[in-house]
Amino acid sequence: MTLEGWVPQVNDYTSLHEVVDFAFDYRGNTTVVKTDGSEVVGYIFNRNADVPEPFVQLFDEQGDGPMSILYRDIATIKFTGKDTAAGNSWKAWVERKEREKALRVAAAGAGQLESDPHTHGG
Amino acid sequence: MSVPVSQMYTVATYVLKQKLRGRKRYPLVLMLEPLFRCNLACAGCGKIQYPAQILKKHLTVEACLKAVEECGAPIVSIPGGEPLMYPDIDKLVTELVKRRKYIYLCTNAILLKEKLDLFTPSKYLTFSVHMDGLREEHDEAVCRDGVFDEAVDGIKAALQRGFRVTTNTTLFDGASPLRMREFFDDMMNLGVEGMMLSPGYSYSKAPDQEHFLRQARTNQLFSEMLSSPKRRWKFNQSPLFLRFLMGKKDFECTPWGNPTFNMFGWQRPCYLLQEGYAASFRELMDDTKWENYGKKSGNEKCQDCMVHCGYEATAVDHTFNSLKGFAETVAVTLSGKL
Repeated sequence: MTLEGWVPQVNDYTSLHEVVDFAFDYRGNTTVVKTDGSEVVGYIFNRNADVPEPFVQLFDEQGDGPMSILYRDIATIKFTGKDTAAGNSWKAWVERKEREKALRVAAAGAGQLESDPHTHGG
Repeated sequence: MSVPVSQMYTVATYVLKQKLRGRKRYPLVLMLEPLFRCNLACAGCGKIQYPAQILKKHLTVEACLKAVEECGAPIVSIPGGEPLMYPDIDKLVTELVKRRKYIYLCTNAILLKEKLDLFTPSKYLTFSVHMDGLREEHDEAVCRDGVFDEAVDGIKAALQRGFRVTTNTTLFDGASPLRMREFFDDMMNLGVEGMMLSPGYSYSKAPDQEHFLRQARTNQLFSEMLSSPKRRWKFNQSPLFLRFLMGKKDFECTPWGNPTFNMFGWQRPCYLLQEGYAASFRELMDDTKWENYGKKSGNEKCQDCMVHCGYEATAVDHTFNSLKGFAETVAVTLSGKL
């Protein structure tokens, strides 16, 4: 399951702290929507809610940073970037290997049929 | 054990100094990740899933050296990402050797042959080559055919040039003890100095979530694999840690034993869990709520973890904590029986 594409509404049911935690755990770029209406796109790699002024830290889309944004300046965070941890590279690899194995078995079987005199007509 | 005497002496004196100074928590190995970029995408790895701008970045040599100084650990392990893709790896290694740090450069060895000219053999530098088993198992673990053979070529070339070479192996569920014993024979035949083993940790970001080992299965696998070990097998790690993996010892995690530094800062609390970053090593050590980690804490993320970065430091500490621990380590080392 991935949060890619999620645009959370911060309200009574979903707190900003929860949204920040999800964004921190997300392995893709997000768009931080600030309370002044401006937006910052980047990768959130850290957050600290245990300090008097809770903050997130991110590298922007160009890789510049780190920059800090205070929780109190954040309206919401949109999960706009590709979730790089949502891939199924391992599954795809196993499936490909199984297909290759099946093809090898089938080819070996066909070869055996051709060389078996009992299977030839005449 | 295959660790050279000079390295054992350095570690032993370091640990004893920490104890004499009354330091309750001290680092043993710095895990220095200069980059996250890698030329493989292994099924069990949760280290490289980042957006492109993060994968393109890397630490400066100066930032790496500052972290090394801050931390003070006698051993620096350089994982990643693939450290041989770090453009300044030669400069970093040279500087670490100057500082007499024992370096484990953890590589998949795809680039090893091509990059060997960048390095000079030294007792301080070891190439720790990722090998997750025999050809079939390794290529499956790294999701690419042919990598095992490339790694073997790299190992041979490095050994021929006089470098220290070890292997590091992560074991997942489904590993065959018999095949692993065959693998140990093959690695020793290649001439590596020693082997390092660890069960895999279930990174939540790793693509393959089905094959991580649970504790009982870990004990069973390592017991079957390491019972009656051959004398020619050399392990480049604490024998007490191996006994722990076999279920013969009960240890608690030392999450601060292998602190991790990367472009995000000092990772809390350990190499495996990623719960935030501290700006300095001091902040990591002083402000992390260590009581929330390890089996005793009840933290569910720690319950099945038996990984070297948490428990090898415990095993080493146990060796120097009492005469009994020291005697046990010596006995296992001399007898070769785990």
